[in-house]
Amino acid sequence: VSQSSDFLFKFLVIGNAGTGKSCLLHQFIEKKFKDDSNHTIGVEFGSKIINVGGKYVKLQIWDTAGQERFRSVTRSYYRGAAGALLVYDITSRETYNALTNWLTDARMLASQNIVIILCGNKKDLDADREVTFLEASRFAQENELMFLETSALTGENVEEAFVQCARKILNKIESGELDPERMGSGIQYGDAALRQLRSPRRAQAQSAQECGC
Amino acid sequence: GEPPARAPAPLGFTDVNLNSRNTYEVSRRRSAPEHLPHGGTAPAAPAPPQEPAERARRAGIAGAGSSFAEFFTRNFFTKRTKELKPAVQSAPGWKLFGKVPPRENLPKDSKIIQQEYEARTGRMYKPPPSSARRKNIEFEPLSTTALILEDRPANLPAKSVEEALRHRQEYDEMVAEAKKREIKEAHKRKKIMRERFKQEENIASAMVIWVNEILPNWEGMRATRRVRELWWQGLPPSVRGKVWSLAVGNELNITPELYEIFLSRAKERWKSFSEPSSETDTEDAVASVADREASLELIKLDISRTFPSLYIFQKGGPYHDLLHSVLGAYTCYRPDVGYVQGMSFIAAVLILNLEEADAFIAFANLLNKPCQLAFFRVDHSMMLKYFAAFEVFFEENLPKLFLHFKSYSLTPDIYLIDWIFTLYSKSLPLDLACRVWDVFCRDGEEFLFRTGLGILRLYEDILLQMDFIHIAQFLTKLPEDITSEKLFSCIAAIQMQNSNKKWAQVFASLMKDSKEGDKNHSPALKS
Repeated sequence: VSQSSDFLFKFLVIGNAGTGKSCLLHQFIEKKFKDDSNHTIGVEFGSKIINVGGKYVKLQIWDTAGQERFRSVTRSYYRGAAGALLVYDITSRETYNALTNWLTDARMLASQNIVIILCGNKKDLDADREVTFLEASRFAQENELMFLETSALTGENVEEAFVQCARKILNKIESGELDPERMGSGIQYGDAALRQLRSPRRAQAQSAQECGC
Repeated sequence: GEPPARAPAPLGFTDVNLNSRNTYEVSRRRSAPEHLPHGGTAPAAPAPPQEPAERARRAGIAGAGSSFAEFFTRNFFTKRTKELKPAVQSAPGWKLFGKVPPRENLPKDSKIIQQEYEARTGRMYKPPPSSARRKNIEFEPLSTTALILEDRPANLPAKSVEEALRHRQEYDEMVAEAKKREIKEAHKRKKIMRERFKQEENIASAMVIWVNEILPNWEGMRATRRVRELWWQGLPPSVRGKVWSLAVGNELNITPELYEIFLSRAKERWKSFSEPSSETDTEDAVASVADREASLELIKLDISRTFPSLYIFQKGGPYHDLLHSVLGAYTCYRPDVGYVQGMSFIAAVLILNLEEADAFIAFANLLNKPCQLAFFRVDHSMMLKYFAAFEVFFEENLPKLFLHFKSYSLTPDIYLIDWIFTLYSKSLPLDLACRVWDVFCRDGEEFLFRTGLGILRLYEDILLQMDFIHIAQFLTKLPEDITSEKLFSCIAAIQMQNSNKKWAQVFASLMKDSKEGDKNHSPALKS
């Protein structure tokens, strides 16, 4: 029943408390807004297989606690992450101001080539906005982040955030910039890819047959 | 290739099914005629005639159904009496049939003949609407059908008879299955009711013991075997708060007046933050204004996210202000610890069981226990010691699962952090969490880790089938249907003994090891 995948990526969701990290994850997986969610203590998990340009990628998502105090715990979960959603709340300046700290941690502790997408969440609350799109996109550019404004409530750009991040990682693998075989890359071959790797001759023979037809 | 004949199911459960049975048979007969060996339905050896004895016996069993039994033996049971006998005797609902007017048996059988004839010849047959008649059809033992058909005029093809028989057998099997299920479910319902009743009785009698005997002699009785056993069963809700308070104690000597002082201080602070000008506070110079503000903001945010499904702590809910007060007063009482996520769950559970000031006193004293202090200060190295001690008992109690987790590098912090920080109040159903708290108050921190192992034991078989991500997802979001009985029997089966060392000793030796380790390694690290 379970879909086989070509790759497995470890993803993080990080950012201040109350920015909607767990709600983004829930919307991404369940396609629903969770309006009675608890706050995350430690870490929670989600997984989903997405199709990115014909490749099936299984995302293993680590949704971390946001409170500063938990930083020493959640830091230990960064290791080997291939991608991350760095989340702030567009209606809270404070959550935006904290981005630099989160970014430093992620760059330092996750894999060197971690691909990060900045998510300005709660896009639906435009009336209470404290951070403009322009300002955040400039910050993203300066720090080589992708950037989207998202809404876990309406679902706007939620899937896109995960997919765009995964696509960039795939591109890096294809261009050779990222080596999935390197330790701590946060990337593993999925079961489908492993089958192919294990029996390259059979795969070749098959393609030869196809050519013959 | 033929299904074995089954006992006719007792009447009174499945009248409803009869309609569908008839249509099922009819449609099957029309659509898929199959060839079956004729002899398959008949007994290999003909049974000896035993009419008088049989009749008497059956009449005795069936009571009011004596003419009924007569009907069987007289008309149909030349060959198959022996086969029918055990079925009749074993049918538990047999007496029910006594209620059926025996007169109806004869007319009904002619109806069946007609029905089957019509079905075979392809004409539409509508099952009779009369429920009494249907009951009788349902009651009809499968073997008689074959005999009915044998008695029929010879112009009817024989293979259809077998098919009809086969259908009847299939049908009877289905009925028997359905009945078995229903009986099982009825038993289950009864059992649940019985258990609930028993539980309520137990709670009531336990309450009397707690109120009249134990609480008045608390210090003398708390450690006795009888009290400890009663305690394990779970505290009656009416004395729960009281027992928790007594068990947690008040080492910090907090009085209700002291609580009021810290609460008013917290209120002043909230006011000062809502006003633009900020006053200088020498006492809290350590923590920056921004941090404190963030902490207060976070309390506000988290209160709305504490037991959201109960709708009592959310803004406008009856306990919203209370929870706010207890947490606010605590951050003023212990600025060195401050507010840490997870606390709101603990305070909420206490508020549900205690008066405001008592809840605060229990809260502050509970968080002052070594394990809680280590966690809420997020003292990572201490936390790792607790996890290491947990793993010692994990390996001891569940070696297979321990290796399985190891193979995925799945460390206990992944699931234990949430469990320990909230004392299971976020991850277990609230009533079950309270029962865990009961024994936690009795046994201390050790029981928190024992509970964790109990959960792992409860789900060991499932977890052994899972990979990393599924285990992690499962344990950070436990099934909601987890029951108290099952969990506590699993917890009881966890031995908190490792080569004669108890939890405290294992933990102490881990602490000692690390200190010695630090001594040995520090010069190397410095160089």
